Amino acid sequence: MTFTQALAYFFREAAVSLARSWKVSLLAVLTIAVSLFIGGAFLLAGSNLASLADEWRGEARVVVYFEPAAGEAERAAVRAAAAGEPWARQVVEVGPEEAAERFRESFPSLSGLLESDGASPLPASVEVLLAPDADAAAVSAWAEAQRGAPGVDMVDDDRDWLGRLEALTALVRGAGLVLGAVLLAAAVFTIASVIRLTAYLYHEEIAVMRLVGATEFFIRGPFYVEGMLQGLLGGVLAVAGLYGGTRALVSQDAATGLLSQALAPGFFSLREAVALVLLGGAAGLFGALLSLRREKLDEVAEVGQGEV
Amino acid sequence: MIQFFHVSKSYPGGQTALDDVTFDIPRGQFVFLTGASGAGKTTLLKMIFREEVPSDGQILVNGRNVASLPRGKIPYLRRTLGVVFQDFRLIPRKTVAENVTYLPRVLGHDAKSRKALAYQALRRVGLAHRTKAFPAELSGGEQQRVAIARALVNEPELLIADEPTGNLDPKLSEEILRLFLDINRRGTTLLIATHDRELIQRTGRRVLTLDQGRLVGDENLEAPVSVPMERELNAERELDAERTLNEVDESGGVQAPREAEA
Repeated sequence: MTFTQALAYFFREAAVSLARSWKVSLLAVLTIAVSLFIGGAFLLAGSNLASLADEWRGEARVVVYFEPAAGEAERAAVRAAAAGEPWARQVVEVGPEEAAERFRESFPSLSGLLESDGASPLPASVEVLLAPDADAAAVSAWAEAQRGAPGVDMVDDDRDWLGRLEALTALVRGAGLVLGAVLLAAAVFTIASVIRLTAYLYHEEIAVMRLVGATEFFIRGPFYVEGMLQGLLGGVLAVAGLYGGTRALVSQDAATGLLSQALAPGFFSLREAVALVLLGGAAGLFGALLSLRREKLDEVAEVGQGEV
Repeated sequence: MIQFFHVSKSYPGGQTALDDVTFDIPRGQFVFLTGASGAGKTTLLKMIFREEVPSDGQILVNGRNVASLPRGKIPYLRRTLGVVFQDFRLIPRKTVAENVTYLPRVLGHDAKSRKALAYQALRRVGLAHRTKAFPAELSGGEQQRVAIARALVNEPELLIADEPTGNLDPKLSEEILRLFLDINRRGTTLLIATHDRELIQRTGRRVLTLDQGRLVGDENLEAPVSVPMERELNAERELDAERTLNEVDESGGVQAPREAEA
């Protein structure tokens, strides 16, 4: 028998077995789907948060806010100090009126807060956009120096909260990997149990096939393929569930957009989705390999010899 | 064909299944292996197809040292043998043809070839018309004949059977024995384990006798009753040939049998 013929036989037998014991197979498929869904959800959220952090890091600024009493001389001094730094990509002064306008654009529902006697309650500021390759230590030293400058009320460095966002991203990814690995191990164990159960269903045939001279590869092949198919099906379900879940999150969160923008703006690339499905297949195959180690299958065949 | 050299088998508990057994079965011989239950007949047969390994001694089957055969080579040994058991070992959910064609499937024969082989093997045991039946639809004798067909499908040089008539009444036992005689006449070596002394006496062939794991007898029996049995066989064979000729005449040439294409 050629390898191609054997593969065709394995797939045919595996399909028959899946259909024959579809209830236990479904259990294995769902277990692996749930584990990949949860692990995948964390990875997707982590990936989206990382993208968001990257995007925001490209627009990172150091903003120097002035006291209401600060004059043009103090603001000019800060502008000049920033303009001389090599890491400063752009220096922009934002007056109180422009700051109020920006607030109204960003938070229209809260614009009433600014309605008073006409004067903007927001302070003037100087925004220094950072170059992508900005020297972190130099930026920090400059910001620190500005905190003590005349007329300066406070200095806000975007990199502080970006750092916290990146730490959160790493935590989400790590949790996803750990949780995914634990759940995947549980799924592998489930598939191993299901395949072993299936092998018991086929113990008579295993005994006969050994008797007539079938090789171990020929006997085990259908079970390996069955485990792999269960894993692949679980992977497909997980990817479909994740896609549906992200779309639902985006549509339900359309009003504010905050959560969906942060957690689900993008889905896996085709390559990543295929990798997740293949991971399911590999887990299923591993489960089958685990359940059909020689001594395990020998036990099954011995049952068959007694009962056929 | 089969050579045992001082073969012994002991189990970890200290129980001895075989004790210093030596014999030689030449190619083409029909041999009975007899003895009381627990004498070691099944263990001896299992050693031939390497289901058991001797604790001591050597076993040659068709020139192969079975005792030292690597595990990966065992399937290739088994493909050259046919094995029949008392309990038939047929798969209930498979048809007769599917049960018979396990080995052809393993060997990579396509569906058409498998059907033809199933037909040929089943025809030899007189069940060519039952290819589509399931084991549960057959009588005990028919089930055993299907098991024999499965053992014969690859034209083995050696056929071994462990109490093949143990579950059958005397009439069906006779039927199975005649089948074995026919198989032997075509050149296949047969080793049949049975405790049915009457069957052995009526057949009159070489008999190896085991007692508590020791080979205590190796004799050739006269077979006065075997002559009419073989006459019957010859008559059946002539009928068979006539039927085949009719099939050829009706179809205008040799073609795949209808049952084989089912």
